[in-house]
Amino acid sequence: MAYTLDFSTPVNSALLIYILYSVQKIVFPSTSTPKTIPSEFKHGYSWMPKEHPPTVLFKTYTPKTLEPFDGKNGGRILLAINGIVFDVTAGRNFYGPDGMYGNFAGRDASRGMAKQSFDLEMLTAVDQPLDKLQDLRPDEIENMKGWIDHFSNKYIICGKLVDNDAA
Amino acid sequence: MTISDYLVTDDLTVLLGFIGVSVFLLQNLYKPQPLVHPILLGRQSDAGRVRNPGESAVYRNYGTGLMGRFPVRPDKDVNVVTDFVKPEFDAPRTLWSTKITNTQLKARVSAFGSGIAKLVSEDSIVLILLNDCIEFIITDLALSEQSIASITLSSPKLLARVLEMHPPNAIVTDKTFLPYVLKATSDAHERNHTLIVVDWSQPSEIPIHSWNNIESEGKVPQAPKNAPQPGSAYTVSFFETPSGGVQCVQLSHENFTSGVTAIKALFPSAINISTLDTIVSSHSLSTPYGRAIAYAALFEGASFATLPSTGIFHDGDAPALDVADVLSATKFPIPSPTVLFLKPEHVQSLTSSVIDRAKKSFLFPLAWRHKFASLTEGFVTKDSLWDRTVFGSAREDVLGKMADTVKAVVISGGLLPSDALVPARLALSIPLINTYTHGSATGPLFATHAFDLQMLSSSSPATEPAHVGAPSVNVEAKLISVKDNVVEQGADPIGEILVRGPSVGNMLSADGEAGEKNAWVHTGGTARVMTNGAFKVLGSM
Repeated sequence: MAYTLDFSTPVNSALLIYILYSVQKIVFPSTSTPKTIPSEFKHGYSWMPKEHPPTVLFKTYTPKTLEPFDGKNGGRILLAINGIVFDVTAGRNFYGPDGMYGNFAGRDASRGMAKQSFDLEMLTAVDQPLDKLQDLRPDEIENMKGWIDHFSNKYIICGKLVDNDAA
Repeated sequence: MTISDYLVTDDLTVLLGFIGVSVFLLQNLYKPQPLVHPILLGRQSDAGRVRNPGESAVYRNYGTGLMGRFPVRPDKDVNVVTDFVKPEFDAPRTLWSTKITNTQLKARVSAFGSGIAKLVSEDSIVLILLNDCIEFIITDLALSEQSIASITLSSPKLLARVLEMHPPNAIVTDKTFLPYVLKATSDAHERNHTLIVVDWSQPSEIPIHSWNNIESEGKVPQAPKNAPQPGSAYTVSFFETPSGGVQCVQLSHENFTSGVTAIKALFPSAINISTLDTIVSSHSLSTPYGRAIAYAALFEGASFATLPSTGIFHDGDAPALDVADVLSATKFPIPSPTVLFLKPEHVQSLTSSVIDRAKKSFLFPLAWRHKFASLTEGFVTKDSLWDRTVFGSAREDVLGKMADTVKAVVISGGLLPSDALVPARLALSIPLINTYTHGSATGPLFATHAFDLQMLSSSSPATEPAHVGAPSVNVEAKLISVKDNVVEQGADPIGEILVRGPSVGNMLSADGEAGEKNAWVHTGGTARVMTNGAFKVLGSM
């Protein structure tokens, strides 16, 4: 049986051109590196993430500067215990405006944590000096320290709280 | 002509179609697999969530994690430095030119320890001014066992100052350096010390003890009065900073066990160090890092030797850091080296020699293209077709028998230029681990992943050195003097490196006061942290 071999048919030429092109790419691979480094690992082996992991700057807050961070406009939620400021934005359900403990957002919650109470009378007004916590019993101080441990493990420590005129 | 006339097919079409499909499959499916998945290289260190103003966050190795404990010992029974010599391991191995088993080594160490305990009291200071040799290791282990403090120097220029500030009770040195020592001690009007000299046999008018005599005097071993504690410092190392200042660091047993753990962690399980290996180092035993490499070799039961360029105490010029230096390791009766701890100059010299030899082959351009293409996919191997035809013979010409046996190279003690990285990876085709070390730490402070082959061209116009990877498994690092406004915008933090960890020793102040334990140590180097958590050391302050 005679084989018909006709290179001039369009299909054959197209296939031939494709084969020659691919063979050329296999035997002479490209050595160009992309001009911009890809930001996804799917787009290349030599890749870099676009951004650094987020970090929070440790700041010194006063009761007045801490107050805006109560989550009311969808912003960060901060609360302070014993001079340590925690970023509790992750716990918006608890500490947000609609949460059970929303009273503490943006305020010094030390007394409330010690006495295990969320009443408004546990909070000191923002223009007053910080609550010295001198009249707390030792077991209340222990309770407050326990809460500090709990918060340190669950949330980020992002600042310290000082008096309004000490900043 | 109708469409069907255009699409006429015949037997050739079938053949071409078959070839086309196989070529397509070959091109797309025959891509080599990367040695390490790129997703792991995108998150090399674990960064803290909070940072102080003017500083960066604290970074740790991703494997250790911010909450993890630092690994402090390579094995649960290794608490003090003499535990590195495991008595249950019996096979002999060669240390420089001496073939010795662990039990024999332990016996020699206790003999020398007992001998020297008869000569100097327990609270004395011994200055070790030896080039790398087995006597150095025996002296060091013996002094640590007897809890006698020792001092080592990274350069002979520091001798005058050390004699002045911390007059030693005994000096251990060798024959060639002895005249220099005698001159330095007479200059410093230092008389109250004993001289112990290696290879000393002739009588002299100055009271000199021979090293071998002390070892033989201690043949009846006396157990030391107090067993050494892991946390207690037993040696002090003096080193020079790049700006010319002198710093000294106090090192304890725990620093060295952590250093050995960090060195072992450099090698993934596919290429880890074992008793079948031979380690060759270009870092002097008088530096903490060099000594930790030697202890790692001792611990694993590998043979060990150092290059002539590590010699600190010699007259004349230091040997150049090049291929001849690397090849001189083969003069020792050790098995062919498998792991090399080299400096960047050695690696650059090796790379240029191998590539010069490889260029002589007419297949070189094609081989280079193919290896480069597989490098962009993250894969490199010593046994590819192109190595068998071009690079393999070039490596054999340059390195001799070593070319076959070397399985990894660790680069420390300098900054490797980034344009030397790709040629080195292609020429040597083995894992190259780029590290950053400092005179105050026993282990590497930063190390790249062994199989990291990424080619990340730097965005800044100046050519930066190659990156050194994430902090080591038991080191945490942060940068200070960082521009806050730049970092808040999302740019890379650039600042001075501070490190802390069990492998970083306790820096002593100028008058010998120890600092507080576990304080941050200023390394004096500037670095930039990249978004994937790898550090790029830019230079010294």
